[in-house]
Amino acid sequence: MAGGGGGCVTLRGAQIRDLLDAKHNVLFDCDGVVWNGETAVTGAPEVVSLLKQRGKRVFFVTNNCTRPRENYVQKFSRLGFADVAEEEIFSSAYCSAAYLRDVARLQGKVYVIGCGGVMKELRDAGVPVAEEGDAEPGASIYTCPLDPDVKAVLVGYDENFTFMKLAKACCYLQSSECLFLATDPDPWHPLRGGRVTPGSGSLTAALETASSRKATVIGKPSRFMFDCISSQFGLDPARSLMIGDRLETDVLFGSNCGLATVLTLTGVSTLQEALAFRDSQEPQQKHCAPDYVVESVADILQALEE
Amino acid sequence: MAASKCTQLTAALSRQLLDSVDCVLFDCDGVIWRGDQAISGAPEVISSLKKNGKRVFFVTNNSTKTRQMYADKLGKLGFDATADEVFGTAYCSAVYLKNVCKLDGKVYLIGSNAMRQELEDVGIRPVGVGPDPVSGVQKDWANVPLDKQVQAVLVGFDEHFSYMKLNRALQYLCNPDCQFVGTNTDTRLPLEGGKAVPGTGCLLRAVETAAQRQAQVVGKPSNFMFECVASQFGLDPERCLMVGDRLDTDIMLGSNCGLKTLLTLTGVSTVAEAQANQKSQCPHQQKMVPDYYINSIADILPALQT
Repeated sequence: MAGGGGGCVTLRGAQIRDLLDAKHNVLFDCDGVVWNGETAVTGAPEVVSLLKQRGKRVFFVTNNCTRPRENYVQKFSRLGFADVAEEEIFSSAYCSAAYLRDVARLQGKVYVIGCGGVMKELRDAGVPVAEEGDAEPGASIYTCPLDPDVKAVLVGYDENFTFMKLAKACCYLQSSECLFLATDPDPWHPLRGGRVTPGSGSLTAALETASSRKATVIGKPSRFMFDCISSQFGLDPARSLMIGDRLETDVLFGSNCGLATVLTLTGVSTLQEALAFRDSQEPQQKHCAPDYVVESVADILQALEE
Repeated sequence: MAASKCTQLTAALSRQLLDSVDCVLFDCDGVIWRGDQAISGAPEVISSLKKNGKRVFFVTNNSTKTRQMYADKLGKLGFDATADEVFGTAYCSAVYLKNVCKLDGKVYLIGSNAMRQELEDVGIRPVGVGPDPVSGVQKDWANVPLDKQVQAVLVGFDEHFSYMKLNRALQYLCNPDCQFVGTNTDTRLPLEGGKAVPGTGCLLRAVETAAQRQAQVVGKPSNFMFECVASQFGLDPERCLMVGDRLDTDIMLGSNCGLKTLLTLTGVSTVAEAQANQKSQCPHQQKMVPDYYINSIADILPALQT
């Protein structure tokens, strides 16, 4: 059974084995699934290795746009995951750059509200970025120059977000020909100890309100990241599995792409929340209910080793 | 209340309307001034109304000025007005926090010095005004020192809006007992010159999205703006006229509070929009139909001077 309103069946042992036998591709979210902050989820590195040994293809699909892919490679290595290759990692920063280059085929520059990770991916993809320019003291929205080559605005998590950036982006978006993209919709990101920090979604909301336009969102739950992986690796949705910790992003993403979905309980969402979505009358909410639930990805390890 | 609505205000109807009210409330931007220029004839209208024994008040969603600063601007533009006739959201938010929220502590303020001033004048201590650039790394942000005396977050227009301010507001709002108030939801600042400057509504949406909470909004069309004036001056709604240029704020406020409403065409909304609302079946849109409309408030001058 795949996609579109799951039954939240808790999986153990042989059931996990049976599910995996039917799937060739396993897509993992990162935060709250394979690691939490700088700590790997116990058993996660072994699970990834074992899946690959059993001939499965493994991909990592993350809305986190703060790092370029090569940093993720280093993080995986640091946390004890053997041989995770750059090509297996799909972040919203990487996919946003791919979208601008391959789907939008951008002719012109992109004005970016974002951090180093996004900038690097855009540069690596050969997408020209409008220079921010040094903020002169006393520069105001009325006097700051606008770059006539800007044909797209990309907004994502930006710790240096300011009112001026919001105003400039809004000016660019006055032209209906200017594309409006957001890396991901997450309103907040979890930090250690149950704390949170504002996410891309909150900055996107400000810009949508200012411009009266809706952004095209690259990250989960939008399909694009799956299409991006598929264009490079040819994925059959019926033979693919999505494992995540956030119902409104990971599970809905899996549902939107026709994948079987597994919720792991080592991150943001709870079993209670999953059941509430399952029992909801609203179709959109039902799509956030996972097919299966596991306590942790380590449960897969037990299933594979038995 | 007029049986038929959205009627053009002729000279004869003007006299009839003016005789039926004791008090006239004016929005400012787009009604009596545009930017730093008085609308031709507006100062004379205000003076004439007062000579005719009408009380006059100014009701604006703009949070960047104190009552005294508004009085100064009114004076400079030739209007006969005093500070206690002005009800801007900087003042009204302070009153709201004091009297409605019954705030007994500090407020974390995303806003202007004018807002800080109005809060201090009612005995509430704000924290957070001014520039607040990001420092440290991400894991520090969830642990920014929080002032334990802060019992509310207030969001108004703030040119120093930044990720760090958004983050601090989020940290305070993670406590469900912390109250959450916004001055207004206008998406743009009203301005001449074509450059679209994002308004308070954008900043408020960013905070609401990150915190996944809805703010209590003080400004039009919330009834509070009228109640604030009415409670201080003992007004009878049926003997009040609201004059504004925006259907979704000024006219909606008038409808909700049982005032007579006059749309002036020197600002944002058009007759066509008003008529479209009138034809619609939607109760919400029906509230955005003025009793009368006029090209400019200067057009009622003849009726006042006979």
